[in-house]
Amino acid sequence: MSSLLLKTLTKKEEIDRIIRDTIDEVLVLRFGRCTDTVCLQHDDILAKSVTDVSKFAKVALVDVDSEDVQVYVKYFDITWFPSTVFFFNAHHMKLDSGTADHTKWVGAFHIKQDFIDVVEVIYRGAMKGKMIVQCPVPPERIPKYNLLYKDV
Amino acid sequence: MATLEDSFLADLDELSDNEAEMDENDGDVGNEEEDVDMDMADLETLNYDDLDTVSKLQKSQRYIDIMQKVEEALGKDSDGAEKGTVLEDDPEYKLIVDCNQLSVDIENEIAIVHSFIRDKYKLKFQELESLVHHPIDYARVVKKIGNETDITLVDLGDLLPSAIIMGISVTSLTTKGSPLPEDVLQKVLGACDRALDLDSARKMVLDFVESKMGSIAPNLSAIVGSAVAAKLVGTAGGVSALAKMPACNVQVLGHKRKNLAGFSSTSQSRVGYIEQTEILQSTPPGLRARASRLVAAKSTLAARVDATRGDMSGINGKALREEIRKKIEKWQEPPPARQPKPLPVPDSEPKKRRGGRRLRKMKERYAVTDMRKMANRMRFGTPEESSLGDGLGEGYGMLGQAGSNRLRVSSVPSKLKLNAKVAKKLKERQYTGGATTSGLTSSLAFTPVQGIELCNPQQALGLGSGTQSTYFSESGTFSKLKKI
Repeated sequence: MSSLLLKTLTKKEEIDRIIRDTIDEVLVLRFGRCTDTVCLQHDDILAKSVTDVSKFAKVALVDVDSEDVQVYVKYFDITWFPSTVFFFNAHHMKLDSGTADHTKWVGAFHIKQDFIDVVEVIYRGAMKGKMIVQCPVPPERIPKYNLLYKDV
Repeated sequence: MATLEDSFLADLDELSDNEAEMDENDGDVGNEEEDVDMDMADLETLNYDDLDTVSKLQKSQRYIDIMQKVEEALGKDSDGAEKGTVLEDDPEYKLIVDCNQLSVDIENEIAIVHSFIRDKYKLKFQELESLVHHPIDYARVVKKIGNETDITLVDLGDLLPSAIIMGISVTSLTTKGSPLPEDVLQKVLGACDRALDLDSARKMVLDFVESKMGSIAPNLSAIVGSAVAAKLVGTAGGVSALAKMPACNVQVLGHKRKNLAGFSSTSQSRVGYIEQTEILQSTPPGLRARASRLVAAKSTLAARVDATRGDMSGINGKALREEIRKKIEKWQEPPPARQPKPLPVPDSEPKKRRGGRRLRKMKERYAVTDMRKMANRMRFGTPEESSLGDGLGEGYGMLGQAGSNRLRVSSVPSKLKLNAKVAKKLKERQYTGGATTSGLTSSLAFTPVQGIELCNPQQALGLGSGTQSTYFSESGTFSKLKKI
């Protein structure tokens, strides 16, 4: 039971290291605050499923409040918390879920099975060499949000 | 049982004659030991009123000799057994073997005396026999009740559990027995005394054997306990005989065969004296069978050590016992907790494709039909017909060509060999369902001889009577064929 708590990353080097070191596994990085309620729900789902996907995925949390990490927040354009970014062998995997933003998953998953399905689809696509995959979650369970572009 | 009662009453009348007989028997101390193992059938036909005709063991020479020796041996201290001497030559060992045999005989004797008491006492209190099963307890109870009519006056507290005492008091109120006459009563009490004597003698013999077991077979007694060890050695007929047995036989030594003909013995557990060991009494019932096998195996090993007198201190036996205890404990451990299993990596295990009849039948539903196959082929040199005519539309290939005689090809899809009867039915159904019969044909035919005759239309197609096509019918097996 080594993964009772998910690993929380606060420094840029840690993030770099973990992205580099996860080989042949999907890396799930959640950007968010540990105090936010939606984040907590999301983290709960992640924590429950981490043993199930442990053979082909790794999960880590990134605290968005530390200064080191702001570089990444800006790079990935993260405005809503929690946001989940997927990597495979240091490639950034995109997910087409019908929303405007394919580079990440915004919001919390509704059920554990949704998260496991998403990770599996990403894994399969990545093993085949695709960079973008179709999201298997039905649209009722995809969190909706509005993207603001320069406050428009 | 009416006849037996009558015979009893008749016997009671002859009592005075038999008094003399009894005195004679008592005078004869040096009686030869008679065969005590009588079948129940013999007992019923015996003249029953005299105890000594039934129970002769106590008067026998053998009994007296052995009891004497036992008392001597119990009195004196035994010197340590010499290591390495052959077991059978040891005089003490011979005594042990005799004692074992004697204890079995005493048990039989007690059973006989018990039936004697029971039959006599039935006149007084019939139901007692079914309430108190153990023969010695029965004898004690009878002795205490005597001829008393009111059981509540009798104190049975130290003999029986209170539930049974209650049962006895209740049934005694409704019993239809009557108090016994004085002489019968005396006989019954004498028989009770005899039974109790035999019981105490047996106890003495067993105690003696137990105490000696430690020096005869220390390893075996370390595992199963001296009482059971004595019984095992006794039934086997010696320590070496026990050692020569395979362990599976040792397991069933002393097993009472209770299954009547026709009942399966798979539901019975085949355990003999081993069942009485304290190891087995303390294991939960689910593990008894495995444990008995284990104990039998290890005790056989111990018996082999003892037969060769290799280890007189019993260390081997203790080690084996410890081993047994550890194994039984291990069996009772709860299974390890289930770890949550992670999901397998996607696409890592290739899909197992299964074959078989079911799959083949499923595939047949989507297979290419014969009709389509015919449509796919073409005849050389002749243009094929097509749906829209003139080479437009779908081509028909071999369908409908002059060579083949039908537009519709037979639709038996599978390659399964059909039963002859089923094939015939199929052909008939095809024929009657098919569209190839011209509408102008009729089953009526006009013949010159008979006039209008109803003929079998299938005859024309050669499906009617089998003899037209071949000598051996395609569709029928045996058929009587009469051509009119």
